[in-house]
Amino acid sequence: MENTLSNTTARPQTGAGSFGWLWQAITGVGLVILAGLHVTAHHYVVEGGLRDFQQVQAYLRHPVILPLEVLFLITVTAHALLGVRAILFDLGLSDNAEKRITQALTVIGALTVGYGLWLTWTIVTYPAAP
Amino acid sequence: MAVLRDSKLKRVLQWGDVRRRKLGTWAYALNRVTGLGLVVYLYLHLVVLSRLAQGPEAWEAFVALAKTPPFLALDVVLLAGLLIHGLNGLRVTLNGFGIGVRAQKPLFIALMVIAAVASIVGGAAIFFQ
Repeated sequence: MENTLSNTTARPQTGAGSFGWLWQAITGVGLVILAGLHVTAHHYVVEGGLRDFQQVQAYLRHPVILPLEVLFLITVTAHALLGVRAILFDLGLSDNAEKRITQALTVIGALTVGYGLWLTWTIVTYPAAP
Repeated sequence: MAVLRDSKLKRVLQWGDVRRRKLGTWAYALNRVTGLGLVVYLYLHLVVLSRLAQGPEAWEAFVALAKTPPFLALDVVLLAGLLIHGLNGLRVTLNGFGIGVRAQKPLFIALMVIAAVASIVGGAAIFFQ
């Protein structure tokens, strides 16, 4: 087929590749909404383009925003590391190497989300200025 | 072993080399390059946000720096990367589920035009708000 873009859309039908592709698609669609909200809230609705400390704290303390920001953290981390995994898998690695890469990226993802949760908690509970 | 390494390196270089290639290779390389750039940005962003844990003074010092023209220019590059990767990613997802496969070339071009226009409009908002 002339001018096809098929090499950009090929979806693996079975195995780990299929699992990764599906999760990357699901997290990717979620990110269109969550990243859109994050970027707009932090760069476009505030005078001067960036929130000061009190504004960041007030934003994260909002009962609807907080779970959305946590969901964004988890979704963006999963999407990013699934993307790295897909690129590494394209190198044509052995099954064993692919397994080790998946394990390593899972640990990196858990550490990233853990750090993000700690940071969020620290900001939300930071004491007010006297 | 050296031959194996060479062949793996070749695979990486093949998708990165878009010279004399069809639009599909451009779309594929663009998605990966922007994706890798966004992964690097994600971790830089998380490191920078650690300033918030140090309190208002540390954060306000960073905000002052982030409002300088070189940082604002990087914000525009980030916005363009997000738009290109996000819109192209939506096309890949739709096509992967069999939706719009026949129209994927005009769809890709249309989405990249939208990304370019939105980057210019958003970039202007970043600089002039």
